Amino acid sequence: MTATSLHLELPTLTPEAETLRQEVRAFIAEERSSGRLPPPHRIGLGFDREMTKRIAAKGWIGLTWPRQYGGQERSALERYVMNEELLAAAVPVGAHWVADRQSGPVLLKFGTDEQRQFYLPKIAAGDLTFSIGMSEPESGSDLASLKARAEKVDGGWRINGRKIWTTNAHRAQYMIVLVRTSTVEGSRHAGLSQLIVDLAAPGVTISPIISMAGEHDFNEVLLEDVVVPDDALIGKEGNGWNQVSAELAYERSGPERWLSSFRLISELVDVLGPDARAASLEELGRLISHLLSLRQLSMSVASMIQQGQSPNVEASIVKDLGTKFEQEAVRVVRNIVSAEDLISNGRAERLKALLIHAQQYAPAFTIRGGTNEILRGIIARGIGLR
Amino acid sequence: MSENRTFFRETVERILADTLDKAAIDAAEERRLPSSLYDALVENGITLMLVPEDKGGIGASIGDAAVILRAAGEAAAPGPLLETMLGQRLLADAGIDLTDGLLSLVFVDDSAIPGEGETEWRDAAIHDVPWSEAVSHVLVVARSDSGARLLLTQAGGWTVTPVSDAAGEPRDTLTAASIPVVSATLGDYDALLRTASILRGAQILGAIEWSFRRSVEYAGERKQFGREISKFQAVQQMLAELADHVLASAGITEAAAEGLNASLAAAARSRLGDAADAAILITHQVHGAMGFSLEYALNSRTRRLMAWRDDYGSVLHWRRALAGNFAGLTRETFWPAVSDAGLPGAA
Repeated sequence: MTATSLHLELPTLTPEAETLRQEVRAFIAEERSSGRLPPPHRIGLGFDREMTKRIAAKGWIGLTWPRQYGGQERSALERYVMNEELLAAAVPVGAHWVADRQSGPVLLKFGTDEQRQFYLPKIAAGDLTFSIGMSEPESGSDLASLKARAEKVDGGWRINGRKIWTTNAHRAQYMIVLVRTSTVEGSRHAGLSQLIVDLAAPGVTISPIISMAGEHDFNEVLLEDVVVPDDALIGKEGNGWNQVSAELAYERSGPERWLSSFRLISELVDVLGPDARAASLEELGRLISHLLSLRQLSMSVASMIQQGQSPNVEASIVKDLGTKFEQEAVRVVRNIVSAEDLISNGRAERLKALLIHAQQYAPAFTIRGGTNEILRGIIARGIGLR
Repeated sequence: MSENRTFFRETVERILADTLDKAAIDAAEERRLPSSLYDALVENGITLMLVPEDKGGIGASIGDAAVILRAAGEAAAPGPLLETMLGQRLLADAGIDLTDGLLSLVFVDDSAIPGEGETEWRDAAIHDVPWSEAVSHVLVVARSDSGARLLLTQAGGWTVTPVSDAAGEPRDTLTAASIPVVSATLGDYDALLRTASILRGAQILGAIEWSFRRSVEYAGERKQFGREISKFQAVQQMLAELADHVLASAGITEAAAEGLNASLAAAARSRLGDAADAAILITHQVHGAMGFSLEYALNSRTRRLMAWRDDYGSVLHWRRALAGNFAGLTRETFWPAVSDAGLPGAA
């Protein structure tokens, strides 16, 4: 690939996608008016099993999956539209987010029919939460250096290792771990495998990691002689790196990369009202222009995936831009709040709370799911520099 | 891309390759129009492409014209191409017949203009007028109580005070104690300005894309410390960041050219403003001292970006306009407005 091959296609939304958008908006309006979904004081995904069950009842988890596994066989663009509506309204989708975005698709692509039959309908019903066991204390950006191992035992695998930054491990039933199952001379990437771990199994110890934003989402998961059956292996033994690379591509270009702090911006617009200084409008207008351009890119990538293309570099660009946008949004809101004197003397307490939380959260945007420096390395390779 | 559009683009790219060399670009700084380029553009109907077919044009869309101007921006083509293409369309819309000559075009928001029905403009002064000495007529789009007025003047009737833009192209001050005008009423001034701005945006995008591509190539050619500078992470990270800007501004500019609405057009010009700033800094940083020389071609795009980025509405103008479209919305209505604004055809 070279610099000239960066590619975009103008997304076109189908009538079905627009109909779904209206259905999701109606659902959100109903949730708001019933009091089950108050306007948030915090940013981020939020975890609410009951909300996940209500979303599942609409058929909106596993939306694109085959009907035989509990899906609706809708398009990737429809899923994109649904997600941006849910995220922009800050609907707490954390209980199913990872399973819907990553774990389910990995099982669909690489799993056996038995695995699909067992897990996917339960995910689609909103009953299963998955977490991802990739990072380790000594393996962050350099994921292939991971130390966790699984050795073959009679009828299964025995796993030993330590996984970290494992979101929702304390609330999830399962974790898909990436571990070393064999050593291949001359290749760090060969010999890794993905295994499904039942988090209630003996030998699993889950310890909380409280974030500087005051939340318990992350955990450290210690695996000591954890035995999983043969059918816990996803795909082929030794093919884990390729499977994970495909999986990471799913998570790069989605609307969560630029909508996770959206409520901060919408709250600002609400509190700011129609009369703002020119300088505030200039800052806000710049932010909205970045928001609209990101959305255009994100939709375009979803559209290209729908057509069977693999816009991996473009997806990395969306994540690099989206995460920087979210950090920039915090700075802009802080400046406008100050210039317009919006939160002093106890006014606009929700905006104030959102701003404090978003500031605390913001350093994570450009780290989680792959640092921006690593993403830019991928982009540099894509444009022919490496 | 439609068959027609591909044909237009290939035609113009061929014309540009055949007629425009560095000497022709440089000559623009001495106020000499690249005449073989414009002869070919006129001959192939490009300058009339936005005019409806029943009035002798091609009836092309703004999206088609944006593709042409993007190619012209890549090539750093000097001269009043946008002004002629859009100006001919405005004349056709106003029902004024004119030959297929070249036109200059300016927008004025706050100048005193002759009243409706008047045929003479006294104490006239207009600024930043592109290429007035190379065109047959100068068109003025002026804000009026009812929307916009189009004023048609003979270029030769003005007194010209030469001024140059950052690229060295003519942007003159024109004055006249009295000059004859033909005038007509047009639609919404802001909508016309948006159209002009997105066409200029296409040229900005083209210049950014050329600079980006050239810098990636240069990083692969230039060796320091015994290896190509493209092998250094610091250089890779800078160019990856520029790739971000290129893709983001291309997506919103294409969307705005297709579904020209108030928010998309404003967002495109705001986003292009940031992309142009980044392109200028990063492409020159990658080129080192080489890019700063007049001899090397990078400056022909850099200086056009400087000349164009605040043209037909400054970056800050479009940011204020964009925010204004959303001001006063609530925490629940803001997202639907953002969402709807991103779809071509929305208001």
